[in-house]
Amino acid sequence: MTVTDPSTSRDSAAAPRAGGAAASIRLEHATFSYGGAPSLADVTASIPAGEAVALIGPNGSGKSTLLKGIMGLVPLVSGSLSVLGTSPRQALRRVGYMPQTDDLDPNFPVTLRQVVMMGRYRQIGWGRRPGKEDRRAVAAALERVGLADEASRKFGDLSGGQQQRGILARALTVDPAILLLDEPFNGLDRTNRDALLTTLNELREQGVTVVTSTHDLELAREVCSTVMLLNRRVVACGPIETTLTLEKVERTFEGVGVEIDSHTVTTLPHGHGHEHTREHG
Amino acid sequence: MFPSFPEIVQILSLPFMTRSLVTVVVLAVAGALIGVFVNLRNLEFISDGLAHSVFPGLVVGYVVAGTDGVFLGALIAALVASVLLTVVSRRGVGSDAGIAVVLASMFSIGIVIVSRQSGYVSQLEDLLFGRLLTVTDSQVRQIVVVGVIATLLVVATWRAQLFRAFDPQGFRAAGYRELPYDVVLNVAVALVVVAGSQAIGNLLVLALLIVPVAVARLITTHVAWVAPVAAVVSVLCGGVGLLVGYQASVVGGVSPSPSAVVVLVMIVVYLLVLVAYVLGRQVRLWRLSRPAAGPGLTERAEGRSDAQGRSAA
Repeated sequence: MTVTDPSTSRDSAAAPRAGGAAASIRLEHATFSYGGAPSLADVTASIPAGEAVALIGPNGSGKSTLLKGIMGLVPLVSGSLSVLGTSPRQALRRVGYMPQTDDLDPNFPVTLRQVVMMGRYRQIGWGRRPGKEDRRAVAAALERVGLADEASRKFGDLSGGQQQRGILARALTVDPAILLLDEPFNGLDRTNRDALLTTLNELREQGVTVVTSTHDLELAREVCSTVMLLNRRVVACGPIETTLTLEKVERTFEGVGVEIDSHTVTTLPHGHGHEHTREHG
Repeated sequence: MFPSFPEIVQILSLPFMTRSLVTVVVLAVAGALIGVFVNLRNLEFISDGLAHSVFPGLVVGYVVAGTDGVFLGALIAALVASVLLTVVSRRGVGSDAGIAVVLASMFSIGIVIVSRQSGYVSQLEDLLFGRLLTVTDSQVRQIVVVGVIATLLVVATWRAQLFRAFDPQGFRAAGYRELPYDVVLNVAVALVVVAGSQAIGNLLVLALLIVPVAVARLITTHVAWVAPVAAVVSVLCGGVGLLVGYQASVVGGVSPSPSAVVVLVMIVVYLLVLVAYVLGRQVRLWRLSRPAAGPGLTERAEGRSDAQGRSAA
């Protein structure tokens, strides 16, 4: 198993925001489980601040598990995990998370502005109304994802891509040091995709650590410097140029029919129908 | 048939009518605010489970201490049931089955106990359908206190409940834990059921949680308006229902269960708004389809006008 070596990845010196700690996220032999067989076993990696890591693997390979594990939402059954130099739950207020938007109810009566404000709810706390600073943070986040003009529209009336950018804006309202994205590019058109790419690259330049699961290898190359190939364990992990190779990707998707961006990887055997169905959480 | 405004004021000034009106208004407002989240989270069935689970509490309270014991019995049952049902429903797989088992068994237990009493049919009727026109002063006080507590529980956690309802994954990721908020909401629902059981009836009180919000969501799509619109609809329906019930018994000489009348008024309003909503949507779609019909609209356009249908195809 390859391990990210902080000294070889680029940008490792860029604006460390984790209270002086070099690694923004550090996993040592970390194994995550919802109670049964481990969803993801024996992960060792050190992700420096400002690094962008793409998680690639078939469905049920543990990509979402790792993202949720970093937030302390999946039990760590062995090994260790530190986020921003502390425990995942402690670090959570500096972690932005962008879940998939497919499950959201399009008829839910909220405006985009309200959805983005949800990112501030935790800080606002009980019995107080959102203040000036909260409204400013919401406006800035909307500006950043290019949706300032849509703020008053009903969330469900926005296009899928706009909804995803809205959820990203929600994640940005906490001024995150780490941004976790779950399949952010699923079903996006070109415009929304480019807008999202630009935002992510800007955030990286500011030293935000980005971890994203994706089926989209083009995205992995455009935003990420490091890739982690997962299949319930780490198949390979390292700089994208040397790790995202055909041989290693094939090994990751071994025996699983998964569609991958065809112009990047063209020689995967076609698996008609037979999907890996170990779904969880 | 229907009284004039001064007559309405006069009727509502009758002490027993004033008590009924206060009861209806408190329950309508509490039901509308709490019902927002019952609606947004599709908790109608678990709310039904809570209502049925309060029933044996009512019965045991009645058997042990007569009418005075009903309230305390219901309160205890409500708190136990709301925690129990929160846990059952969080088991995920087969949660509906779990709720259904709790619902059926609790209700059966209540029936078995009450049927051991003499003259149980009329007692059963009172517990199930309420006695809206004969609530006592002390009952009104209980209803106001419990209704206000239930409302405050939801108002105090409003933003978190909204976030929880909209995006549970994002909610957890923001550092919230679901269980306390779920317990708070279910306790609030159970308290409304307790407050409403003696006046509106153990089963009919459910309508106050569900119907007004359903009406409001047809009228407005903005969450800030859903609760106020639901409350206004509910209060108006409650007032009209009371008056209709009163007129029916005093003028018409029939005495329908007034709470059933209140609920029926709500249902009628719901159906009217639903029809208006569906018609409004059809008209909008039809207008949209006129300049350049999309493939999905072709059929409808053909139905209305041949020429337009052809131009669209």
